[in-house]
Amino acid sequence: MWINMGPQHPMTHGLWNLRVKVDGETIVDAEPEVGYLHRGIEKICENRTYPQIIPLADRLCYGSSLTWSHLYCMTVEDLMGVEVPERAEYIRVVTLEMQRLASHLMWLAAYAVDLGMMAGFIYSMRDREVLVDLLQSLSGSRLTYNYPRIGGVAHDLPPNWDREALRACNYIETRLKEYEDLYEGSKIFMMRNVDVGLLTKEDALDLGVTGPPLRASGVRYDMRKDRPYSVYSDLDFEVCSRPEGDCFARYRVRIDEMWESCKIIRQAIQRMPKGKWRTVAPRNAPVGTGLGRVEDPRGEGMMYVVGDGSDKPYRLKIRSPIFITVSAAPSMLVGYKMADVVAIMGGLDMCIGECDR
Amino acid sequence: MEDYRGSCMREGGRSNQDPTGNIERAPLTIGEDPEEHVLRTINDEFGKSVEGSERVRAGLIRARLARDSLYDACKLLRDDLGFEHLSMISAVDYPDRFEIVYHINSYQSNIMLELIVKLPKDDPTVDSISSIWGGANWNERESYDLMGIVFNDHPKLERILLPKDTMYHPLRKDFRM
Amino acid sequence: MNLFQFCNGIIVWLVELVNNLWYWLGDVLPWYFGDFFTGIGDFAGSHGHIVVMTIVLESLMVIIVALINVLNFIWLDRKLSGRIFDFYGPYYVGYRIGGWLQNLADGMKLFVKEIIVPAKADKLGFLLAPVIFVGSSFLILATIPLSPNFGIATNESGEFVTAGVLFAFAAFAIAPFSILLAGWSSNNKFTLIGGMRSAAQMMSYEIPLLLTVASVVLLAGSFSFVGIVDAQHDIWFAIPLFIGLVVFLVCIAAEVEVTPFDLPEAEAELVEGWTTEYSGMRFGLFMMTSYLRGYAGGALATALFLGGWQGPSLIPDEIWFLIKAYTVFVVIEWMRWSLPRVRVDQILELGWKRLLPLAVLNLLIAATFKTMGWFSG
Repeated sequence: MWINMGPQHPMTHGLWNLRVKVDGETIVDAEPEVGYLHRGIEKICENRTYPQIIPLADRLCYGSSLTWSHLYCMTVEDLMGVEVPERAEYIRVVTLEMQRLASHLMWLAAYAVDLGMMAGFIYSMRDREVLVDLLQSLSGSRLTYNYPRIGGVAHDLPPNWDREALRACNYIETRLKEYEDLYEGSKIFMMRNVDVGLLTKEDALDLGVTGPPLRASGVRYDMRKDRPYSVYSDLDFEVCSRPEGDCFARYRVRIDEMWESCKIIRQAIQRMPKGKWRTVAPRNAPVGTGLGRVEDPRGEGMMYVVGDGSDKPYRLKIRSPIFITVSAAPSMLVGYKMADVVAIMGGLDMCIGECDR
Repeated sequence: MEDYRGSCMREGGRSNQDPTGNIERAPLTIGEDPEEHVLRTINDEFGKSVEGSERVRAGLIRARLARDSLYDACKLLRDDLGFEHLSMISAVDYPDRFEIVYHINSYQSNIMLELIVKLPKDDPTVDSISSIWGGANWNERESYDLMGIVFNDHPKLERILLPKDTMYHPLRKDFRM
Repeated sequence: MNLFQFCNGIIVWLVELVNNLWYWLGDVLPWYFGDFFTGIGDFAGSHGHIVVMTIVLESLMVIIVALINVLNFIWLDRKLSGRIFDFYGPYYVGYRIGGWLQNLADGMKLFVKEIIVPAKADKLGFLLAPVIFVGSSFLILATIPLSPNFGIATNESGEFVTAGVLFAFAAFAIAPFSILLAGWSSNNKFTLIGGMRSAAQMMSYEIPLLLTVASVVLLAGSFSFVGIVDAQHDIWFAIPLFIGLVVFLVCIAAEVEVTPFDLPEAEAELVEGWTTEYSGMRFGLFMMTSYLRGYAGGALATALFLGGWQGPSLIPDEIWFLIKAYTVFVVIEWMRWSLPRVRVDQILELGWKRLLPLAVLNLLIAATFKTMGWFSG
């Protein structure tokens, strides 16, 4: 019997449909259906000038919006050949890592409440407020920041912002320790996560899965380390990966990434030079193509832009990590129980905004 | 309970090992730049079909291929040259042709290959590579849905982002908003 | 003076007052009508009639006490969850008394909502399921006395019924039937699954529950609540039967469907489980009855394990009983807001493979104590 989980469902993250075929309680087949949130962003972008697309890129994935506007600016800078000043690169790295922390905290909140622990939701959201307040004082809004610009960032850091950011890092690190104790000390949490939703390394590589699910299956590839962009090549951090490939491994990889993000923020703030934070980019783009790749909290994000000499892009193609990871969901779901669907799909950290564009 | 705390692999930076852990596989080249090796292999195998190949910058190479040899080239890439990961399939609608751009990544040698295939305007069909990389499945469905490129031998070529009964392909340039 | 005498006094006073009217009418009106009204007066003043009215008034008082306790429980639950989650609970409605009136506000909101019955639902089943559920839950309270003077299952001289425990747990076990009925008659795949899961969970947790009760009855030597509480005058049963108390609390949590056992109403998967299609006050009744069963479970735990109404006689016995029942409830709610949810096959595995052997072990311990003669019953 085919059961539809979604699209109207109080607790699926975003608007999508998962059709599962069950035999009793065991899942025999699964088929995700996306496209309910398709807004035609790629077509809209062909009618907007290059700076006008930055807020649109924010709204691709509203859970980690700085990553996408940064990725877009990187792609257009590759097309136009614009050189970004060093201070702007460091500011971008700090805000990117803060966005990664906020996105992972929001994932942890939704994951906890899906498993029934409402306390985890409240605690994670409360800690995310610390980061969101910082980003609000920087850019003016809490969810879609519209902060990077082609050639740098919009404006400089406010006074004392870096000191507050260091305090926030210290606070988040104490809370991370508490979360590790809270979740891993709970036998019920471990029962629901260990050995559930196994994704083998061969399947992950074949199906194109990237990001924390790939690293949780044993492939130690992180774009910040292996193809560094911005100033990541000057910073010292480790790639977090685990060999098991189950839900617990994906959870653990994200927690480890949060620890590494705190480290990166501290280093970047200490090494930040003074100087300009933006170079003016030309209005018209040359004829050619540009490619940008970034390590989104959810996987590998890419953008491919084709310029035709005017001030609007000819074609902007967006690669969303969740689009591919969701298509790999059936290989993780078959053979497990219906009640595991929440744990498995929650562990993929889905944000449908970027999936459907 | 084993010690799970903070135990990410502590080998700072990129080691010389293959990140996929296939240590029994020999490195792609010994003493030769892997990107040159890939370009040379493609040129050797598919000499007539290759219309241009270049190295754009460190870690990114580009090759243009005729559409008939796409399937064989992809098989070669996956099996012999160690390109495990298909990232993105983009379709671009130029005034005189369609172009499909495949971005294929090799974790082992850390190279990204941009493979460009030209299609005539009146016959936008090409072979599907979803039997080589499973990740191509949804990418190709999206290109079919939004741009109208038909992929031969695709297991399930249906619309994915738009409703199933849509009559047009919106990303084409002749579809004005 | 116990509850029966108290209500008896009220009823007798009331009946005498009304009988004045009947006898006056009987005197005033001529022949047949006069006899009719005199007959009514005689019937009303007869012993059987007065006893029946007394029992009705007693039940009403017990129900009112139970409902006020349920309101208190709901308020306490929300304040407690606020404390755990680092926010205030109900705050504004009833500002000066800490938000207690929020319950009444929510109840009024549920009253004015539209009652929607799905078109293809089985109408009789849809209507009957809440009735059976609520009715059987109130029935549990019929035999639980709050103190030797405050209970309805007595005869006139105040001696309690000898099989009170049996009746209470029998009424407790009617609920899975009504849940299946609700899940089935809503004509919805998800409620069906939720109802099946819920019934499976409840039935599989009845058995360790009843085994634990059997061990208590073994030690106390009687099925009546008064006998069990009196047998605890030296030491509460919680101390020798500590495993039994733990098993009992876990089984009550599974019966009342709090997290970690609330898979039947897990929002992430099944919207609301077997209560999805109910709206308005019918849904409110299900929620309220869930708390009522929590109260009944707490009262049972108090009577069986925590010494019932025994305590220093500074405070009346009923208040002691309620304090202990509230403590049990706080423990269950603490568990509810701190733990994640257990998967359904793990719930059943827990019930059959872990709790059942523990309950049997508990029974063996009780039998050992009894043969040693430490509890002479």
